[in-house]
Amino acid sequence: MRWDELKHNVGDFLHGYFVSEYERKLREQFVDLNDLFMLQCFMELVGLPNPAAIYLLDVYPYFLEEFHTWHRRMGMDRSPIGSMPCC
Amino acid sequence: MRELLRKRILFFGGKGGVGKTTCASAFALAASREGKRVLLVSTDPAHSTSDIFQKPFDRDEREVYPGLMGIELDANLEARRYVDRAKAEIARMFSHAVAKEAERQIELASAMPGVEEVALFDRMSDLIIDRFDAYDLLIFDTAPTGHTLRLLRMPELVSSWIGALSKRRRALLSLNQDIDKVRQSPEAVDPDDDPILQTLDRRREKLELVSARLMQHNFTGFVLVVIPERLAIEETARAAEILRESNVNVCGVVVNRVLPDDLDRPSTSLGPGPSTLLGADGFYQSRRKQEQIYLDEIKRRFSAYPLTWIPQLETDVYGLENLERVCAGLMR
Repeated sequence: MRWDELKHNVGDFLHGYFVSEYERKLREQFVDLNDLFMLQCFMELVGLPNPAAIYLLDVYPYFLEEFHTWHRRMGMDRSPIGSMPCC
Repeated sequence: MRELLRKRILFFGGKGGVGKTTCASAFALAASREGKRVLLVSTDPAHSTSDIFQKPFDRDEREVYPGLMGIELDANLEARRYVDRAKAEIARMFSHAVAKEAERQIELASAMPGVEEVALFDRMSDLIIDRFDAYDLLIFDTAPTGHTLRLLRMPELVSSWIGALSKRRRALLSLNQDIDKVRQSPEAVDPDDDPILQTLDRRREKLELVSARLMQHNFTGFVLVVIPERLAIEETARAAEILRESNVNVCGVVVNRVLPDDLDRPSTSLGPGPSTLLGADGFYQSRRKQEQIYLDEIKRRFSAYPLTWIPQLETDVYGLENLERVCAGLMR
């Protein structure tokens, strides 16, 4: 392997490493924020009143997919509301 | 109370049984006689406006007296309607399978405590926003104090809640866009195109508009109705305090059922009871003496607000004839 080829590869490697590290951090942050957001939308689940519950009726369907990933990550195998279509 | 005719939105509130509905109806009648287009809205779960006017009221506006429209709101029904509307909207936008499943979720959510309150408030908001220009005066006959105070604080509470949600949602989406930039593959939704964010923002705008109208002191006011009795005075004083704190304009206090002093001695048909012990006259005098103490207290404690006195009538207020007498008392 020639020297500048090696340099190029190492450069690519480092670039890829740091970028993916950065992406991982962003994703982590995204997941945390999303968890909080979902919690605020589904406060009923933890037994807290949700002042905007009825105002959220219109947006529930948009949540279906996100809700599934969320409850799985929260350690609930099955959909805790029992009526979200995920599982 | 004449100057209150210049207002656009009036709430009548007070402890249960003090005559809120009577005063609100009488004022609505008086205003419509002055040539105003008036909508009288009853939000009290124990509706009695229809009994007073001896005309059926409905959840939609209907004329109950020439120039006076009336409406009785039923929280339960409003919640149902709200939920049905949400369902229809969902059915329109999503596939059948999704809609069917989401429907169950919605059924569940609609059984949550507080939902009826929010639905009722939503309907009131619609009236305040959409019907504001159709009338000169909207009069809300409210449910007993605690209930109403919560209702008035609702827009602030819910809109700040929704505000927090949409802020978080926005942060989420922009984070998603950052990830896209790193990966150099645009997948994320533009925050401006996000349906969740759009729905939330629309909600919040509406709530803020209502909130702004309710806090507008020059055309919105709250009239407290009180009777010269200990419990009513205490509750009304608390209500006035809370309203002031929530920046709602208390624009008058009506003291209802004040014993008239130009009264001939009560007829002897009072029947047995205290009158046989004290003598009818003695009974009445002692009631009046006690009342005077409360009236003085009311004058002292509500000195910041314009006071109006309504005498106790010899019969209860039922039907237009008696209502007119209250009307005259209010406009005096």
